[in-house]
Amino acid sequence: MDYLYESLQTAIQLIFGLDHEVRMAVWTSLYTSSTAIVFASLFGIPTGLWLGLSRFRGKRVLITLLNTLMALPTVVVGLLLFGLLSRQGPLGSWGLLFTPPAMILGQMVLATPIVANLVLAAVVGADKRILPTLLTLGASPLQSAIQFLKEIPFGVMAAVIAGFGRVIAEVGVAMMLGGNIRGTTRTMTTAIALETSKGEFAFGLALGIILLALALLVNLGLNFFQQR
Amino acid sequence: MYSLKDMTVILSEQFSLRIPQLDIGKGEIHIVTGANGAGKSTLLNVLALLHKPQQGSFHFAGQVVGRKAPQLQSLRRRITMVEQSPYLLQGTVSSNLAFALKVRNIHKEDRHQRSYEALAKVGMADFLKRQVKELSGGEIQRVALARALVLQPEVLLLDEPTANIDSDSLASFENLLLSLPASGMTIILSTHDKAQAQRLNGKQIFIEKGLVSRMM
Repeated sequence: MDYLYESLQTAIQLIFGLDHEVRMAVWTSLYTSSTAIVFASLFGIPTGLWLGLSRFRGKRVLITLLNTLMALPTVVVGLLLFGLLSRQGPLGSWGLLFTPPAMILGQMVLATPIVANLVLAAVVGADKRILPTLLTLGASPLQSAIQFLKEIPFGVMAAVIAGFGRVIAEVGVAMMLGGNIRGTTRTMTTAIALETSKGEFAFGLALGIILLALALLVNLGLNFFQQR
Repeated sequence: MYSLKDMTVILSEQFSLRIPQLDIGKGEIHIVTGANGAGKSTLLNVLALLHKPQQGSFHFAGQVVGRKAPQLQSLRRRITMVEQSPYLLQGTVSSNLAFALKVRNIHKEDRHQRSYEALAKVGMADFLKRQVKELSGGEIQRVALARALVLQPEVLLLDEPTANIDSDSLASFENLLLSLPASGMTIILSTHDKAQAQRLNGKQIFIEKGLVSRMM
């Protein structure tokens, strides 16, 4: 019990003492996950909107595929992209492996289906009169799409926050594509895994507390938007 | 304005709308009547170019109505519909009226002036800055009518527009409708109210179980 108590004390000192290693890991996590969610939103929001509003053959198959992609194990995404980005892989010449952009790419692949699926759910659940109203007011397809999203802002925000929640807490992609390099690709989750295995439990605990606080913030945000 | 011939619109296995012949001229008032579920709203949606017919010929303003999005969008900008239970976009009354003017690239100052005038026509000039969520059912209906009028459409489609309007406002609403064809606007209105149909004195379109016919 003393061990846990002392570790907790040290963890709190590391957090409030703004320890350099802790700050680096937090910054890398926030930077990669935020960038990834921006790109995931750029692809996921239009995809969800298009799937929700259009009718075409094979739509159900596409939605089933999107649902499956939501449950993609992070290490599988890491493995596939590792194959593409490694020196012998087709994109090896880009030199991205073990860099933040590789982590961003992997996290974007993880978050895009989540954002798309949740936007799709928001579109399907939206007022059925929105689209006919926009069309009878003479809006073009692009104008209609933009205005439609403005009519469901909380559904879209909830989708983006849920996507962010998924990537900030993942470890598989960050580990396999980032390589856990100190100061450049070491995130909170990969640092926890490494430092705990080295016996630095207090350091892992400090990052764990920050991660939990972030998860709590994300869920508070999600709750706020889902209840609107 | 419209010429429809031998048209069939299939909405489901249970319901289809059949229009053997329907001609609607510019600047006329047409009243669509029929029982609940007969197909009044479907006919208005067809005339608003929202439902695509599976069969038949469809002309609007001398043009064959096709299926391509750019043509539909350009034709739709000449028609506006007010639903029985209209949807107002989130925001203010002003932003609702401005939206359709904005997509038509109308200048900001003109947008404001036209919005004010359209709201004045429905007796709601002082509602310009009001939030949509604060409006009652009748006020929503009147704002939706103003949003349609601000566009100065060639065709105004109204799906049971007086369902939520109180009896005090009804007479001024009907007088407003009666004044519109003078500017060349075609009005097509569905109603349950036979007395209203008589008061508006328009040409009658009758629908029974999906079959559209003219009443003499």
